[in-house]
Amino acid sequence: MNTMSSKAAERAAAYEAAAADPARRPRPSHGPLTGIRVADFCWMGVGACATRILADLGAEVIRIEDRNRLDMPRRLPINKTAGARAYGDEDPDPDPNAGGLFNNYNRNKLGITINMRDPRGQELCRRLISVSSVVTENFAPGVMERWNLTYDRVRELTPEPIMARMSGYGHSGPHADFKSYGPVVQAVSGLSYISGLPGREPSGWGLSYMDNMAAFYNGAALLMAIYHRNNTGKGTEIDVSAVEAGIGLLGPIMLDVTANGRKTRGTAYPLGNRIEHPHAAPHGVYPARGEDRWVAIAVFDDAQWQGLVAELGHLDWAADPRFAAQDARHANQDALDALVGAATAQRDRHDLMHRLQARGVPASAVQTSEDVVDHDPQIAQAGLFVELDHPVIGPAKFEGMPMQFSRTKVDYWRSAPLLGEDNRYVMTEVLGLSDDEYEHYVAEGVL
Amino acid sequence: MSGVAETGQKPPYTGLKAIELAEDVGGEFLGRMLAEMGAEVTKVEPPQGSPTRAIGPFVQGQEGPDASLNFWYYNTDKRSLVVAPEATAARLADLLADADVLIVSLQPARQAALGLDLNAIAAANPKLIVVSMTPYGLTGPWKDYAPSNLTAIAGGGPLMMCGYDDHAIPPVNPGGDQAYHTSAAFGHIAVLAALLDRQQTGLGQVIDLSMHSANALNTELGNPYWFYNGVNVQRQTCRHAQPVMTQPAMFQCADGSYVYYTLILADQHSWKILVGWMDEMGMAAMLTEPEFSDVVHRQQHMGEIQELVECFFLIQDGHEAYLEGQKRGLPIGIVNAPEELLEDEHLRERAFFVPVDTGTVAGTVLFPGDSYRFSAFSAVPKQRAPRLGEHGGT
Repeated sequence: MNTMSSKAAERAAAYEAAAADPARRPRPSHGPLTGIRVADFCWMGVGACATRILADLGAEVIRIEDRNRLDMPRRLPINKTAGARAYGDEDPDPDPNAGGLFNNYNRNKLGITINMRDPRGQELCRRLISVSSVVTENFAPGVMERWNLTYDRVRELTPEPIMARMSGYGHSGPHADFKSYGPVVQAVSGLSYISGLPGREPSGWGLSYMDNMAAFYNGAALLMAIYHRNNTGKGTEIDVSAVEAGIGLLGPIMLDVTANGRKTRGTAYPLGNRIEHPHAAPHGVYPARGEDRWVAIAVFDDAQWQGLVAELGHLDWAADPRFAAQDARHANQDALDALVGAATAQRDRHDLMHRLQARGVPASAVQTSEDVVDHDPQIAQAGLFVELDHPVIGPAKFEGMPMQFSRTKVDYWRSAPLLGEDNRYVMTEVLGLSDDEYEHYVAEGVL
Repeated sequence: MSGVAETGQKPPYTGLKAIELAEDVGGEFLGRMLAEMGAEVTKVEPPQGSPTRAIGPFVQGQEGPDASLNFWYYNTDKRSLVVAPEATAARLADLLADADVLIVSLQPARQAALGLDLNAIAAANPKLIVVSMTPYGLTGPWKDYAPSNLTAIAGGGPLMMCGYDDHAIPPVNPGGDQAYHTSAAFGHIAVLAALLDRQQTGLGQVIDLSMHSANALNTELGNPYWFYNGVNVQRQTCRHAQPVMTQPAMFQCADGSYVYYTLILADQHSWKILVGWMDEMGMAAMLTEPEFSDVVHRQQHMGEIQELVECFFLIQDGHEAYLEGQKRGLPIGIVNAPEELLEDEHLRERAFFVPVDTGTVAGTVLFPGDSYRFSAFSAVPKQRAPRLGEHGGT
């Protein structure tokens, strides 16, 4: 009991500290989305990553959470004390405010908790929507319908709304109710199949690429809808199917199938790190000095080839008829890759990258997140990762935007909200509840 | 929502003009994204055509700049204007007078060689949005480094997360030019931010987007594991890279195909569904015994459970297992080959693939359709990529 209560006391203290910190108080934003309020029902990765784009550009994004069904990124053992743990290896009672992944996805947003099993909670949601102009969600199919928060209903609550529905399969068709997350989407869309060595099982993706890409596409779709409404006064519902977005990322192989009738199954496809078009060779990932250290090299023409053989000290290769031209090198990649791999194996991957690049050869160390975040001078000069403090987590790095604007200011003003951190502000100042009403709802478990 | 807008509203970029100077599929993909939502996108090409026209595959054994499926894919709905390199800067000055967006994906040295000064262009055209989308950005020690898709996805971090359990095999590139696609996705967001800014202020601006930075933001859990736990993740066969090795999540089926399914032992709900399904097929063995309803017991027998699930899928047709598993409420995916997508009943019902008249020996060819659907408006009907110089030459 003592540990529990000290834990509870510690968690309560974090809220007091956050409330006392003027830098965490909601404030007028600037940026191209100033004045846009978003009732954000998103959770998990896709939705939160999409609405982060809106928040970065100045929208007032109000995350609506459920205390009794914590957002997964709050729970996962991606935090400062978990160490080397698989994300499925959860703690039984994780501190919802210590979750690093949640912090990463939800900076710049406000956070409230509403109990949707209580009719008064649902009424508060409708009130929030009535003072918002954008609604976002990525629940399993049917959840918004159960709350009667369909687009038609939302239109009754607020004029010309934009409502983004982010799902795996889209909101029509026979598989609309199918359950998915990134790896399932990657499998179904073909992205996993086109990744791997010939004659082996697909190696696919080591990340939920389609959670991220669907988030970026949903972010763009929301921005398009806002741009359209600014021009025409008209709102819209948005239906993004992650599977369809994924198919759109397969590239020209899809046209090889539809225009040329190509069949990929049962053939030597895909080719691992080699490519069919153009005839680039060597084109691969080669061992470097150290354990599990690699360098990627891609040679597209004779000048790059000359640079490679000079750097690797093997001018003799250039005289070998098997390697005399791009087509010949492409046809003899087994022999070529063995030679290149032997020549790179004792080289430092970054040193070799820079020396090859000095000779005009496309090359890169295969970098870890540690390399990219802490040691990459190109990333550092771009200021890609920004630091923000958090009442429980402390200072942490965040993924910024990969572009620099000459005019638009991206404002990283606050780390992610504590669970329910902005309840009082949103209920009283946005929805106009009295302090008594607010305290009453807290006491009754509506918030 | 049917996805087919019948509101009479035009897509959002209607009336916008964009000029594209791109020699890679990233810049071209961004131009395509603007074109399919209504912008008039003019691709300015040298007399021999964009280098992307020389990249295969080619349509039905044909050759030449108008036969590249690579070019077809990334350049639908655009116009092609041929301009000699030495005339580019002067011609641009005219073209940009009534343009809204300029896409440039040439590296700094190529920009200089063509006499392009992006800041000067922006100064001369205050409402213009100039988006530079280059391999490493316009500044910094690597800005002139030679690019490729493979080296970009390597440098940004995603590649180290992809490959096989066997780490004697190098990391394996996920298929398709995904490093360029990632850059294009962010390029679209950047252009939209600038368009929204211009709606407020009336002013354009210059955007400097780096493909390297874009890929560094596309690791999903990789960066957070480093930010917070201080550990690097390790690649694993077709499933999440994690700090420790986990159980395989891809199961081979009787027809040689694979399904993706992550067995989460702590998830009581899906455990019951799975065991019920296995039991109906006579494949549950001891998993129906009461002690297996305890998660700790399951975790102690992980290896045996994994083997039983492997056997369970190995006797089934992959596609049937996918549909049956989903019907029962499990998040399971079939690993589709591209040609199998054309038979998918769901995609057919949504009319995802759209016919495009290519004006070539191939006739009408199916293309993947829109990546986003709106109730208020639709993308423009997809038109084939332009032939070289189809909309004018020097």
